[in-house]
Amino acid sequence: MKRVLIRLLVASCCLVALSYAAVFAGARDDWAPWTLAIGANGVIVSLMAIGAVRHDTLPRSLVWTFIGLFVLCAGAFLAALALPAAEGANGPLLFGLPLRTAIVLYGVGVVPIFILPFAYALTFESSTLSAGDLERVRAAYAAVRATREAA
Amino acid sequence: MSGPTLLLMQSAITGFASRGIVAIAIAYFLIVAAIATWATRRTRSASDFFVAGAGVGLWTLAIAKMAATLSGFAFIGGPGLVYTIGIGAVFIILPGAVSNALGAWVLAKRMRLLGEARGLFTVPDAIGARYRSRLAQGLAAAAVLIAVVGYIATNLLALGLVIDAIFGTGLSLGIWIGTAVILAYSVAGGILAGIYTDVFQGSVMACASAIVFAFALKSGGGMSNLSHTIMAADADFLGPWGRIGPIAAISFFFVFGVGSLGQPHVVHKFYMLRDPRQLKWYPLLMTVALAVTQLLYVSVGVAMKGLVMSGDIAPLAKADQATPQFLLHYTPTIVAGLVFSGVAAAIMATVNSFMSVGAAALTHDLPIAFGRRVQDELKWGRITTVVLALVSAGVAQVSGTLVAFLGIFGWGLFGSTIVPALAIGLNWDGATRAGAIASIATGLGVTLVGETLGYFKVYGLPTGVSVSALALVSSLLVFFAVSWLTRETASAIDADIRLVMDA
Repeated sequence: MKRVLIRLLVASCCLVALSYAAVFAGARDDWAPWTLAIGANGVIVSLMAIGAVRHDTLPRSLVWTFIGLFVLCAGAFLAALALPAAEGANGPLLFGLPLRTAIVLYGVGVVPIFILPFAYALTFESSTLSAGDLERVRAAYAAVRATREAA
Repeated sequence: MSGPTLLLMQSAITGFASRGIVAIAIAYFLIVAAIATWATRRTRSASDFFVAGAGVGLWTLAIAKMAATLSGFAFIGGPGLVYTIGIGAVFIILPGAVSNALGAWVLAKRMRLLGEARGLFTVPDAIGARYRSRLAQGLAAAAVLIAVVGYIATNLLALGLVIDAIFGTGLSLGIWIGTAVILAYSVAGGILAGIYTDVFQGSVMACASAIVFAFALKSGGGMSNLSHTIMAADADFLGPWGRIGPIAAISFFFVFGVGSLGQPHVVHKFYMLRDPRQLKWYPLLMTVALAVTQLLYVSVGVAMKGLVMSGDIAPLAKADQATPQFLLHYTPTIVAGLVFSGVAAAIMATVNSFMSVGAAALTHDLPIAFGRRVQDELKWGRITTVVLALVSAGVAQVSGTLVAFLGIFGWGLFGSTIVPALAIGLNWDGATRAGAIASIATGLGVTLVGETLGYFKVYGLPTGVSVSALALVSSLLVFFAVSWLTRETASAIDADIRLVMDA
């Protein structure tokens, strides 16, 4: 699992680098923003997933959380890039903001607040650090320390 | 904030400093002094001084991290930037919705357990332990030190301006008074005093921001009215990327999202948590605290734009006047006083944290890199805190443009030098010592050379591309490439470090 996620992270970094290379080459208005949006969100989500992996597995609930997060954030950026500009005088508003802006700001800046902290808390016991895990880790520390001192 | 814009901010604030604001500011400084005195009595060891004796609770940790994360920029420079470039400036704070959960999954548990296993103080400590490398630790400490001096100088200049605006001391004396106040509690109580004053300061910041947010919406007749007013005159301002275009806006999101994993003054606070199992609710507390405190950043810039467009207020001479002018015209004196205390709080909390990581780099990490240990780290920690503060205050006094130059690349330098080696290294056993050293060197080199060439106008990057983003993606790719080339050495990890990585 971790090997796959590391490859995703490297691929995302390459997409970001490719986007900047395209800007240097003068292609900034073509596809560079699209690859940058996918790459930047890919870096963040794959880093998050790598951090959540334990014993080379990721709980199914977190797999779907991270896939959903990537679709939400990258999708919000891509929707804003794809939709026609309608920020004129009588343009449509969504929750007080122009449509494209609302999609990005609420999609990337607000919705994850109601998902990620709860996903972390609800999987904390099973996938991050239970009381038993902590006892085992502390016992293992003590064993390592004793071995080192004996040596 | 640059020197010239800070000077304009000063003149804007001075115009409406009143007895009420002075009274609130004095009350604020007295409360900080009382908390610091209490905390100083509890500082007895280097562990207390640098990591608060690893005895901090979750609420305290979350609010202190929030206070350290946000500097005066969130209250003055940020709203000014929104006023200037529109929604594009919001991409600097947009990653806050994901970056705290990111930090929790990637770093929180491992940093906390690493501190417990090895008794570590600093972020370079963790890098040195992960790779069994004094060179990696020393390079990381050098990067921290370079960025810290610039950050402290920038913030001391801003604090001097706030003190001058409130008390009429003059800028130079204001800088020295601000330095003395922060030094008083930083030297005596170290991060322990800093943490507990941060709780008070963070609370002031959050209250100030939430109250001003309500006034901002009220002043413009609600968000929809504000949007219609602005869209009629300047459609790009409220467009999804503001006036800076998608490349620059998404680059902000990338640098400030990923770079959040490399801010040593924030990350090292994970060492301080008393019980690692309290981390369960850390992302929720931190995300909510940060979101509330950043409400002012967005709302004041947008509200001022709407008010200027509707003719309610004259166009601002300089963008940094957005918050002071809004407070002057649309909030009661007590709210203005609270916000100025909030600005001072944000600056002092950030400076205290930077002093702590800078002093630790000087007394702990760099001596280790040269194969030495300082005997009395508590005493030398206090001495180097004074030296660091005086050097930074001196830099702040000398030149506004130099301060701006030093302050520019702090976030990017931290991100590009620390994220690959620390955040990925603690989660991937394929990372190697050579990969870590190469990535830190790349982050340092690209940032220093790129920013210097840009500062002296020798070379400019294409519009939308920043040195910070280039440095970050370069150091990430170098880290992976060199780790892959030296993969036969990847198994060289100490048993206790591997335990932390697998925990």
